[in-house]
Amino acid sequence: MQSFIKVENLTKSYGGLKAIEEITLEIRKGEILSLVGDNGAGKSTFVKTLAGAQLPDSGHIEIDGEDVRLDSPKKAGFYGIGCLHQGLGLIDTLNVPENVFLGRELQKKVLGIFPQLDYQRMRTETRDLLNQFSIKLPKLNDAVVNLSGGQRQTIAISRLLLQKVKLVIMDEPMAALGVEEGSKVFNLIEKMRSENVSVLIISHNLEHVLKLSDRIAVMKNGKLIKVLEAQNTSREEVVKLITFGLS
Amino acid sequence: MSDSLIGNADKKWLFQGLGLTIVVIILAILFSLINPKFATITNLLNVLTQASYYIILAVGMTFVIAAAGIDLSVGSLLALITVVTFELIKNGLDPILGVLLMFLMGGTLGAFTGYLISYINIPPFIATLGIMVSLRGLALVHSAGKMHYGLPESLTWIGQGDIIGIPVPVLISLIFALFGAWLFNKTKFGLHARSIGGNREAARLAGVNVKLVEILVYSFMGLSVALGGLIMITRIDSTQATIGTSMEIHVIAAVIIGGTSLFGGKGTVYGTLMGAILLSMMTNALVIAGVDYFWQLFIMGIIVLIAVTINNIRDKRFLFNSKP
Repeated sequence: MQSFIKVENLTKSYGGLKAIEEITLEIRKGEILSLVGDNGAGKSTFVKTLAGAQLPDSGHIEIDGEDVRLDSPKKAGFYGIGCLHQGLGLIDTLNVPENVFLGRELQKKVLGIFPQLDYQRMRTETRDLLNQFSIKLPKLNDAVVNLSGGQRQTIAISRLLLQKVKLVIMDEPMAALGVEEGSKVFNLIEKMRSENVSVLIISHNLEHVLKLSDRIAVMKNGKLIKVLEAQNTSREEVVKLITFGLS
Repeated sequence: MSDSLIGNADKKWLFQGLGLTIVVIILAILFSLINPKFATITNLLNVLTQASYYIILAVGMTFVIAAAGIDLSVGSLLALITVVTFELIKNGLDPILGVLLMFLMGGTLGAFTGYLISYINIPPFIATLGIMVSLRGLALVHSAGKMHYGLPESLTWIGQGDIIGIPVPVLISLIFALFGAWLFNKTKFGLHARSIGGNREAARLAGVNVKLVEILVYSFMGLSVALGGLIMITRIDSTQATIGTSMEIHVIAAVIIGGTSLFGGKGTVYGTLMGAILLSMMTNALVIAGVDYFWQLFIMGIIVLIAVTINNIRDKRFLFNSKP
């Protein structure tokens, strides 16, 4: 598998505390990489640097062979990195196409002059996108507040896919979802992989991590201690690494 | 109602708009039964004419409240721009230029309010309260409390003329409400204003230029004040520094009665239109019934409190239903 993003010796401190230290890792195209570790292991800090939410103190980030400086979420988006926060960033009062297309609306001209939202096209394209990923929603015109947690999750993911992202960062994607809803999101993540989209998942749910991931990166005390091939590892080994590190 | 009239957001809350329409119809029938004078065509057109400037201002306020803002300065802004324009026209300024200047002042001062809110981060309530007091002061300084009257006929036609029997203010306000509904439901500007009210941070992360949209929302409010003010002063052919006092209460009440959420994010221009008509109808009925002006104020205040309570109950239910 080709590499999409490579980070080298990434370090970030808050005051005297090193949140992440000398992290070197690559994320390959079309792979699902899970990031695991105890609270305070540095997972969120590492992800924030990839998402453009904060700059590292030192180290390099390379995307498709180009050295980049991700100094804003917008810049990260420019390089094809999309982040799915736990709050999902949806607007409850807007409907599905409005949420999916917010910030990149489709428009048409009325009377040849006045730009107007092209709701019909936005609905059709949303439907097509959802179909492409086998997502079924009863009504697109409903305010998203009326949808279930899983449906909201899929809308948030759809929005990223519409932006043709190459790497989706997901923070606890299955948290607060029921079994059925979780499995739908699960399928969606696998579908993204089949479309050659890379997925970086932060999760505490090792069952999901082992089932879903191609590789598992274990962090402890701000350091990346090991990257495991998911199919050649066991839950016990991961737990051991999270708890005791390499010792 | 057709898609072209009622757009996306309005459609979602159509039931509420219809409910309000039924309330307006029932009240109209009730008032007519109590006092037959109410039911005359002349009086109903009079109600709509009285409602016209409130409708126009309330359309602008729908955008402000849907964007999770509030504008208390509308009455003072109306006073300042009308006294300044009136005096300039009386001193020989071309009426068309005068009207353009009025819109320019309304839009610019509105944009300034938006700037204070979006860039200086002053909460809308405080920013517009300060502007309200300052502009009223400026209007009083400018006109020294004197009454201005005597506009050219070309202008008074706007407030007093009619087209096939329908008063011009009514036509203008209805056309403006239609334009407002289009802008609110069918354009990027309307969607962005609603998205900011729904979740400001999420809108920003989605790529909405939140600060610019906020400035535009308050600027549009200022333009609405200019249009409403134009109709008001050309209808009564006069103005003074105290014009529009307490107008903001009436305007905000119309928007809230119309179903726009005080928490922002949702609303309907159709509901606002009905809310403004309902309030004017009630005021008219109270006048016909000979109710004292001070009691009218009291009743208006009670109506606002009831509307806000209903709004809160509805939104609490909405928030309760929110998914994390």
